[in-house]
Parts: sequence; C-alpha cells; structure tokens
Amino acid sequence: MEILTGNELTSGATVYLDGAGNWIEDLQAARLFAKEEAAERDAALAATKATGRIISLEIEEVSQEDGQVVPRRLRERIRAAGPTAPLTLNGQAYDRQHLGDDGHVSI
Amino acid sequence: MYRYDEFDAAFVAGRTAQFSDQVKRRLSGELSEDQFRPLRLMNGLYLQLHAYMLRIAVPYGTMNSRQMRKLAHIARTYDRGYGHFTTRQNIQFNWPRLKDIPAILEELASVEMHAIQTSGNCIRNVTTDQFAGAAADEILDPRPVAEIIRQWSSLHPEFSYLPRKFKIAITGAPNDRAAIRFHDIGLQAAVNGAGDIGWEVWVGGGLGRTPMVAKLINSFVPHEHLLAYLESILRVYNRYGRRDNKFKARIKILVHEEGLESIKGQVEAEFAEVRGGVLTLPQDELDRISAYFAPPDFADRSGQNVDVAYQSILDPAYGRWLDNNLHPHKQPGYASVTISLKPVGGAPGDATDSQIDVVADLAERYSYDELRVTHEQNLVLPHVAVADLRTVYDVLVANGLAEGNNNQITDMICCPGLDFCALANARSIPIAQEISRKFAAPERQKQIGDLKIKISGCINACGHHHVGHIGILGVEKKGGELYQITLGGDATETASVGKIIGPGFEADQVPGAIEKLVDFYIAQRQGEGESFLAAYRRLGEAPFKEALYGAA
Repeated sequence: MEILTGNELTSGATVYLDGAGNWIEDLQAARLFAKEEAAERDAALAATKATGRIISLEIEEVSQEDGQVVPRRLRERIRAAGPTAPLTLNGQAYDRQHLGDDGHVSI
Repeated sequence: MYRYDEFDAAFVAGRTAQFSDQVKRRLSGELSEDQFRPLRLMNGLYLQLHAYMLRIAVPYGTMNSRQMRKLAHIARTYDRGYGHFTTRQNIQFNWPRLKDIPAILEELASVEMHAIQTSGNCIRNVTTDQFAGAAADEILDPRPVAEIIRQWSSLHPEFSYLPRKFKIAITGAPNDRAAIRFHDIGLQAAVNGAGDIGWEVWVGGGLGRTPMVAKLINSFVPHEHLLAYLESILRVYNRYGRRDNKFKARIKILVHEEGLESIKGQVEAEFAEVRGGVLTLPQDELDRISAYFAPPDFADRSGQNVDVAYQSILDPAYGRWLDNNLHPHKQPGYASVTISLKPVGGAPGDATDSQIDVVADLAERYSYDELRVTHEQNLVLPHVAVADLRTVYDVLVANGLAEGNNNQITDMICCPGLDFCALANARSIPIAQEISRKFAAPERQKQIGDLKIKISGCINACGHHHVGHIGILGVEKKGGELYQITLGGDATETASVGKIIGPGFEADQVPGAIEKLVDFYIAQRQGEGESFLAAYRRLGEAPFKEALYGAA
C-alpha cells in the first residue's frame, strides 16, 4: 500500500492526504492507496502539485501492523513521529512541526 | 570587529527586501515551488524532513554580544528556543516558518548579519581559526584577509553559478585549527626569505564521497596579490570544473583528474593576466580593514597565572575545565576559553536561547565583546583575563555550559543526521549521545586523552567523519541503519583521511566497538604522551582491526 505525503508550504510540517482530500498531520488517518489505485493516486498527486501548497511531495510505501499504518522507510517513520533524539538541553523532546495557526489546506 | 560600510548595509538591505517580496509572492501563489526553490536556497533557506531550516552566516565565526543576543531573540521568538552551531562556524534554526523568514532576515540585518551564500553553488562563508587574533602561536590575525575575501566573494557576479559550492578556510597559525587542507582553497600565513608575510595556497581538498587532502599550489602569494590569485583559481575552476555530474563537480575532482601541474599552469597563466590589476590590494585599504580587527586595549594583567594542579585539588571539575578548555593567549595574563556545547548525553552544537544570551553577556563583560563559533561546534571567549576565569566558569556551571571536555572523546563533531536532514541515511545525534554517556566519567576521558570522534549520517560528510581519529559513517542497509568505522583521520597540518576498518555495526553496538578500540589503544600506547592517532600511525590498521573484530 502507498500513501501521499509532503510538507505544508507555510509551516513545513509533515502532512498526509486523507480520504476526504484534506492534507492532515495524522499518519494514521492517511488515505491508503492499493496497487490498483495508481491512477487515483497519480491524479491526487497532480492535483496537489497544481495547488502549490504542499511541497516535497512523495509516494511512500506503508504496511498495516496491528491496525497501525507503518511506513516502510525509517526516514518516513521519523518524519511521522519527529526527531528521535532527546533534546537534553531543556529536558524536552524535539517534537515534530505542527500546522498550528497556519490552518489546514485542502485540494 | 568589522562594521558594515554603506555598501554592505545597502546590499544586505536590498537582498532582504528582495527575498521578502519573493516569500510574499510564493505564499500568494504567484511563484511556484520550482521557481521559488533556487531563490530560497540562495538565501540559506532549506526544507528538511520536518520543517524549513535557516542557515545564518557567521563571517569567519566571529560575533559580538549584540549579534549573539539577536540569535537568542530569533531562537526564542521565531523558532523553538534553541539553535544549532555547525561545522561551518554558522548557526542553523531547525523550525522557522516561511512566513516569518522576512522578519528574521530584517532582525539579522539590524545587527549586520544575513543568510546569503550559505547555500548554492557559490563561494560560501569563509572559515578560520577560532582563536584568530588571540592565539600565542599565530603569525598574524587572518580575519582582515578573511573579511576582504568576504567582500570580494559576496554577490561576485562571475562566481554566483559555479559548477558546485566553494569553501575557503584561512589560518594565521602554523598549528592548523581550521582544517584548511580539507577545503576547496586553504590559506596558511607564511613568511618568505625576505621576512615578508604572505600566503601558502592549498587547493582541491574536501570531504564528502571523495575525500581528498588539498595540494600545495603556491607556497607564497604576497598579501597584495592574494585576491588576484584567488580569482585566478576560481576562473580556472569555473571554466573547467565539471557540470555534467554533480558528484564530480568540486574543484578537488578537477585537480585530481587534470593533475596539479596542469591546473597550476592554468592558474599561473590567468594570474599573469590579472596580477597588478584592479584586484591588487592597496596597503591603505588593508590597513583600514585591519584596524577593525586591532587587538583590544588589554588591561595589564601580566603576572597573573592560575595554578591548575592546585585548583584541581580544590575543585576537580574546575581543574579539569582549566586543563582542557583554555588556549594560550598572545597577551600575558589572558587566555581563550572554549565553551563546550557537548554536555554528556546532549546534541552536539545545540544551545538554548538563554545559553546564547549568557554567552553574549560573558563576551561583553569578560572578553572585550567578542566571541567565536568553532568548526568543532563549540563557542569561544577569545580574550578572558586569567583573574576572571573562576567567575566565568561559575556562570557557565549555572547554565549547563561548563563541560571541561574540549578535545576529549566526548567532544564530538556530529551532523544533524536522519533526525533532521533530508539527505541523511542514518541518525547521528543518538550515536553521539550514547558514546558520550559511555565515556562520561571525567577520569576515563582524562585517561584516554586527546581523541577526536566525528560522526556523519551520510556520505556527504557534514560530520567530518573522514578526519576523525575515529570516524563514524551512518549508511542505509536493507532499510535499517549501519555504521562504518574509520580510523586515522586528521584535520590538522598532519592531515590524513581515515580508512574504513571493517564491516559496519548496528547502532547499539557502536559505543561498545569504540570502547574496544580505546581499550586496545590504552593497552598498546607508549605512555600517556602517545595519542590515539600517534599510536594508530605507529601500529597500523591491522592490530586495531583484530582488536575490534577478532583474529581473521
């Protein structure tokens, strides 16, 4: 299975295309494209590119393990969860970027 | 310190306004990402895994307290309360939002800073010895020449689209602390037979996927002709450097493929044309720039010393800091202080906004308003009176900045790696954190002595692994991370590139592997005076390999 992912233009936050055509932060709500849905996937990709609001667009392979969507590549797992190294300077985790007040965007 | 003249202020203001407009047009949709990407990169704005990253130039690693406070303000106001100091003597912010970039650039311009030419195929920020203008072993302060190179190379119309990026490092001391032999051009102050000061010029060094030690192309270029000589090298590179293959586009490949003598012939021919022309440096201009870097009006502190052995008995942590983190100063009664950004378990090079403010305060009060960023991802107070050391140390302790580990095994260079970087194949920071925890004990670090570990998360080698006494390179293998270990690298005047010693290790095995190598070195060394690197050079690779992997 595959998902579509990219970075939101204003914040740079990692986002995923969901089933309703919105770009959201939650990997678990990402739309899963089966192999036979390549045409739909490519159409969504092209439509997104045309908006110019999601950059660094990628098609990523995922699997479902215990009901969870898990990207095949470590790089994508880190993009989904944020940096793994603890930020010991202030005792907090780095955390990932969030869309915050920049709001959601949709295609 | 250098102060912007009208031209500097105008070009930075002009570029800030221009890029602010480009950001506005991108956000409105007027510019596409394909159109905007090269524009943002020319202004130091990258897109990494999680967010944008802004790389800000710190010219030759020198700042005053006002500039440092501005970085703290930017970290606090526009980012997440910390910054990351890099091997390019720059600072990177990992979480800025695109809409805030114009405001950040305006803030920077207000303190004579910018992010121009921190990316792209142009001449990048010139780097130098972090102890420039202070070191006891220095022939001359290289910063006036570094500043002249900055002026010459900034927005240079002929060299804005080189085959690839171009890095120049310069040192005024015989002990190379600026890794000049691993830059596209390395400059080292030299004295000729007549007693004149000029420059040794090294060319074609670099790290990345094809590490090479630079070659000496000219053993003495007089001060006044240095720009003409640099321009000659750049012209030859711009004309003949490969543009067909990104991985073979650096000048090191050109020098390697064409041969030094051939390149030297081309450069000398070009030099004969331009020498004596508009690039000749008038002495009065050199004097004018040098005046900005005149030594502070040092208060007489001669006769003041610190008894490190005695202090070590009274307060071992302070004694260790004195032992490791001071560098001899040319002015009696003063020392240069290295502020470690390598706390045990920390991310190398990171500093919080409050720590950045504290260092700015210390620089203002105790170091004649000067501070430096080192290419080993630490900070330096260049001019501290010996009598003030204890006060400075106490402030550092109170702010988590007093690790006395300079040049020891926990003082690692480490790139951001796969936790942040869009190019990385493996994580680096967690490896550095685990190694520093394993070797955290001060007495253990003292036993080991000077040992440089450098960690990169991909072959681009931002973590300088090729020149680590022990280098660690993260690679991707079968979807996971694997770490290759190299031995024998050296970034100094005795430069060498480390060799891969054998099969790679899983992440959790790396600290143990390092410990085996360290234990073997300690068992084999000819006294505490023989460093890891010296022992490796004496013994060769084979016994270290056997110690790590067992007998074949």
